[in-house]
Amino acid sequence: MAQNALVIDGIGVDFSGFKAVDGFSTVIEEGEVRVLLGANGAGKTTLMDLISGKTKSTEGSVHLFGREITNLEEHQIAQAGVGRKFQIPSVFRDLTVRENLIVACARQPSVLGNLRLRRNAAERRRFDEVVELTALGDVLDRVAGVLSHGQTQWLELGMLIGQGARVMLLDEPTAGMTVGETMKTAALINRLRGDYTMLVVEHDMAFVREIASKITVMHLGKHLAEGRVEQIEQNPAVREAYLGSGGIH
Amino acid sequence: MKLRLTTRGALEAAAYGTFILVILLLPTVADVFWLNRFAKYLVYGMLGIAVALSWGYAGVLNLGQGLFFGLGAYMVAMTLKLQSETSMQQGADTPIPDFMAWNSQPGALKDLCCIAPGSWLWIPFQSQAFGIAMVLLVPTAVAFLIGWSIFRLRISGVFISIITLALVLLVRLLIVDWQPVTNGFNGLTDLGWLTFGGFEFDPYVVPTYYLVAFGTVAVLLLTRLLVATRAGLVLQATRDDANRARYLGYDVARYQVFFFTVSGLIAGIAGAFYVIASEFASPTFLDLTFSVSMVVWAAVGGRNSLLGACIGAILINTIQATVSESEMLAEAWKAIIGLIFVLVVLFLPRGIAGLARDIAMRLAALLGRGTPAAQPLQKSE
Repeated sequence: MAQNALVIDGIGVDFSGFKAVDGFSTVIEEGEVRVLLGANGAGKTTLMDLISGKTKSTEGSVHLFGREITNLEEHQIAQAGVGRKFQIPSVFRDLTVRENLIVACARQPSVLGNLRLRRNAAERRRFDEVVELTALGDVLDRVAGVLSHGQTQWLELGMLIGQGARVMLLDEPTAGMTVGETMKTAALINRLRGDYTMLVVEHDMAFVREIASKITVMHLGKHLAEGRVEQIEQNPAVREAYLGSGGIH
Repeated sequence: MKLRLTTRGALEAAAYGTFILVILLLPTVADVFWLNRFAKYLVYGMLGIAVALSWGYAGVLNLGQGLFFGLGAYMVAMTLKLQSETSMQQGADTPIPDFMAWNSQPGALKDLCCIAPGSWLWIPFQSQAFGIAMVLLVPTAVAFLIGWSIFRLRISGVFISIITLALVLLVRLLIVDWQPVTNGFNGLTDLGWLTFGGFEFDPYVVPTYYLVAFGTVAVLLLTRLLVATRAGLVLQATRDDANRARYLGYDVARYQVFFFTVSGLIAGIAGAFYVIASEFASPTFLDLTFSVSMVVWAAVGGRNSLLGACIGAILINTIQATVSESEMLAEAWKAIIGLIFVLVVLFLPRGIAGLARDIAMRLAALLGRGTPAAQPLQKSE
């Protein structure tokens, strides 16, 4: 039985009367790739905000490998082992790819601890591993701002690996990608499967079938259904919720 | 790729080396009056470095850098004021600043403890070591407090500029208003000389120039080293995308506070050197125009380059001094520098440094074409 990586218990946030996420609970096991589905406005991104500390919850709790991380500061949650990839890829655009990854791979968060020029062996090893996984070796000295859309996404994913995130929150990792890029991303995620726990928001069902171990469906801020891909596709409540958009396709 | 990097590093090293050589060799060609003038420009160069660090590397446009410059200047000026001969001749056993004696109430005790309300603050400044310690301590502490308040609250962008601008004017007002202790608008003049191991740093001797020149070189190289560290890289990362840095686990505010404080310290040291070279401290150091000028120097020189911003400051001030010899040009100078600033912002966002780098890289590529190793490229500056 795998360990529980992320336990979300009744989390919710009240934006002066409007509950974007309302008493949402789920348990994600270590090594699992969980896909989060839901129509626009279902609260998927807000849920990620709540886990990663961007938005402070007004109810419920989040535990990471048994340690409570509810409402800590963003950097504390990141240090605890949660990595986050944004819907609009966010990298350090004026730094080179190499510098981006060096910043991500640093094992030392404090200012004074980083007043040094050389990297230690562990950091170099991690750096090399990320470069190998993301196949960014040819563009290391390029400024991140000039990368293609796909490369930018992989760089950001690489930074999450580099920071040593044990749980990754990926918000639409294939948004705007070509079919080829999407497949490459799926392959990358499948390579990471087992070593990392992932919570992925995604709309592209072909991609979802490719990567998901389990799916959780959100509707109006609440937990609607959870199960394997086939189960979710057959689920009447999910069909009901998606009726307006003609069901999942 | 590797070759490209080596070339770039070599070009930068060559530029730093040339600059340092030029300022260290200057006394062989210039007389002491010119050297004194140039020492002040080097001080402006330090300010350029401070602005580049905060604006270029941290993305924080501080419009109140003059605050730290002024604090550093006043700290050393107070101790030098007490060293001056006039302070010894006020008819007391201990030195008393002349303006305090002039302004004192009839019958007031002629002693720093109580000649004016608050004059006791001057007592420890009888020790030069104390004054120099305060040069390092006061700007650092003030910068830390300001930085801490600003960055903890995640204030960013133009709001930082507005806050720092307001603060420098506030402190300027306090200094002008606190006449009995600071000599108000007149500032501190008629100062003694800095003394080290029996040697007096008369502003018009070569060693004083070297004092400032070595100070500038040290500040330049140490700051360059600082931004080359991992912490410097993280700082640039926070400038590009603070949230990304947060989600990588960095406490962004700590990085911003640290480098904001270093930038303040550099400005404070610059202020102290300026007083040593010019023999006065005045509230004009905290004028808005002065702080804005620093930003212009850094923008023209290249705010992303410490050396560029430093050279920009020196260059503009040298030209300004030459131009102000002619009355008509002196009047037009403000308009000219304003125009240069606008043009640079529009067409040369990386300033002179960016332009020089592009040209040098292109030349290097041209000369290096067909040569197999990076070695010949290193000589091409």
